[in-house]
Amino acid sequence: MIYDRTKEMEAWVDLIPEEMQKNYNRFKRVSEVLTKDPEPQVGQTPKEVIWTKNKAKLYRYQPAKAKTNKVPLLMVYALINKPYVLDLTPGKSLIEYLTDQGHDVYLLDWGTPGYEDRHMKLDDYVLDYIPRAVQKVLRTSGADEISVLGYCMGGTMTSIFAALHPELPIRNLIFLTSPFDFADLGLYTNWLDERYFNLDKMVDTLGIVPPETIDFGNKLLKPIANYVGPFVSLADHADNEEFIKGWTLLQKWVHDGIPFPGEAYRQWIGEFYQKNKLINDELVIRGHHVRLGSIKANILNIAAQHDHIATPKQVEALMDKVSSRDKTYHVMPAGHVSLLVGGGAVKRTYPTIENWLTEHSK
Amino acid sequence: MTQETTLDPFALWKNMYEKTEANLNDVIHETLQKEAFSEWLGNYQNAFLQYQSFVQKTTENYLKQINMPTREEISSVASLIINVEEKIENLDQKVEDELLTNPSTAEINKLKVSVSKLDKKMDQILKLLQQNEKKAPPVSSEVQK
Repeated sequence: MIYDRTKEMEAWVDLIPEEMQKNYNRFKRVSEVLTKDPEPQVGQTPKEVIWTKNKAKLYRYQPAKAKTNKVPLLMVYALINKPYVLDLTPGKSLIEYLTDQGHDVYLLDWGTPGYEDRHMKLDDYVLDYIPRAVQKVLRTSGADEISVLGYCMGGTMTSIFAALHPELPIRNLIFLTSPFDFADLGLYTNWLDERYFNLDKMVDTLGIVPPETIDFGNKLLKPIANYVGPFVSLADHADNEEFIKGWTLLQKWVHDGIPFPGEAYRQWIGEFYQKNKLINDELVIRGHHVRLGSIKANILNIAAQHDHIATPKQVEALMDKVSSRDKTYHVMPAGHVSLLVGGGAVKRTYPTIENWLTEHSK
Repeated sequence: MTQETTLDPFALWKNMYEKTEANLNDVIHETLQKEAFSEWLGNYQNAFLQYQSFVQKTTENYLKQINMPTREEISSVASLIINVEEKIENLDQKVEDELLTNPSTAEINKLKVSVSKLDKKMDQILKLLQQNEKKAPPVSSEVQK
């Protein structure tokens, strides 16, 4: 019955003017994308798990592929959203791009924390997980040195790890839109003001902070562009299947949040956003003083010009603090996510990282 | 001559969106950066947390009354499993370190090689002795003559 009606409707649409047909088809395609289309597949580059700890997993990508670069690359992801943004889909994947070029790529995926992980602190991630993952990578690859790439908050964690482990053979450090200086954060500074934002009560009540809370904070920075903008773009490009594919992939990732372990959140907001301890050499991790000046590895630090989550100013601040002789700072014409996903990323970000890495691994 | 145009509601809406978005953004941004908004956000957060706390306590009491495990209790079990896994991980690390750094395996292998060389030499000596025995004349019969 419904099928008959749909057929009748389709026949009727054929009779109306072309302009109106176009609008009908646009509306139909948008409805299909939002209600009927299956979720896109993500993280399809072949991988094997080489180590696990609690919910964290260490992956090695394309193990069967020849590794021409002698220094392995460990990617450290953030505690926000899922790491498949680094391996979104074939042809739009930083991991696939690098492994295809002969790099031995590993990814430390933190997994999805549960209520039992509410006591996890940044100390645990930085001192218990990352060093062990580095050791595993070195043993699996048989290499003497390692490169580490930190994405967003994962980069901030990587910098702390590198500062606290000068004895480890870290040859290269790559940071992608990682904030280091939290002095002037615009709206965030106002919203997270200690006088109004009750951080302790939030952590004590919720235990683990739901992903919606973090997503809400990020989207509130540009509410119209974030809440309405994506749907305007979708309707505008409803006849472009390639655009729709990219749109659904990105929307899947944006809405695929994970909870933030309470104690780590207390540190992240309290000691970074509210007190800006890292850049001022005031951060203490399990009794160890973190001094970014202890970092001597080669550095590639990439910021995105239109990033409002980790602004170029926040990212660039690292450059004056580290003791590295070989350090490069790049600002890409992109946003926080488009730096890694989309045509611009494939054309600019991936080759920039690959070229630098190859050059610094000889 | 008149140009025939058809109504395109989407184009109309998109045009309106693009024209008003920038202005609206400015207005919203102005509101969001006011201290009063931060204060309101803080009040909203407190009220939300108060409500969450109430819901959690009520649920916990109810679950206890009907003899069902609470979230706290289930997470305690999960923590116990994580702790056991942690101990296995530590053992795994020790075994791995031992295998890679302890020279005992190499020494045993060296010993094995030495013993097998020694074994071969012993065989050679025995062989030579047996050959010598066969070649030597029977001493006892000559003595009788």
